[in-house]
Amino acid sequence: MEKNRRTKKLTQTIDENLRRAYADTAKEPVPDRFIKLLEQLRQQGDEERKPSGDDS
Amino acid sequence: MDPRDELIGHLPAMRAFALNLTRNAATADDLVQDAVVKAWGNFDKFKPGTNLRAWLFTILRNTYYSLYRKRRREVEDPDGKMAGQLSEKPAHDGHLAMTDFHAAFAQLTDEQREVLILVGAEGFSYEEAAEMCGCAVGTIKSRTNRARKRLAELMHLEDEDELELTDAATMAVVNGASVA
Repeated sequence: MEKNRRTKKLTQTIDENLRRAYADTAKEPVPDRFIKLLEQLRQQGDEERKPSGDDS
Repeated sequence: MDPRDELIGHLPAMRAFALNLTRNAATADDLVQDAVVKAWGNFDKFKPGTNLRAWLFTILRNTYYSLYRKRRREVEDPDGKMAGQLSEKPAHDGHLAMTDFHAAFAQLTDEQREVLILVGAEGFSYEEAAEMCGCAVGTIKSRTNRARKRLAELMHLEDEDELELTDAATMAVVNGASVA
């Protein structure tokens, strides 16, 4: 019983710190390279969907 | 709504997950970039209404294990203080010192770090994590417990006296009293 209580408290402490450490990292603003990458991917997709060639 | 439009909202979490897997900020962002490109090309396979973050995390971890794990040793930070590269703060609020926590976390295996992020930090269920990692629910459960236990050992949290001490120190900081 005592051991269970201890394990539970330990789990809580660990998870709480995990969430804090993880949240700190996930707060970082997204770098420009990813904004540009998404724009690029979107443009590529748009071009692929366009009917190909004006001369057809 | 097109799930492509939602991808950007998951990028911070993807970067955090990638950093915890690779433990190198530059490699982490390369990994995220590869995963984003892969996800974009496979969005027709995403089932609308299912968990997009779980889907993206699955792609990210599969990319890591297939392309990055072998490469890692070549770029690994020799100081061993890696996971905290993006943000490192002193523990002014009385919680466990984040530098200690990161150092301990970095000593876990890839699989242990992964499962702690998925279950402990992101809050995915054991079932979801099992599906993402392609293994049995029981495996995820025991891996999570072993990882927590190992982390506790590394941080010398295994006996209750130390936990009480941490709480006392926390109260002291919160109340602005001296610990002595």
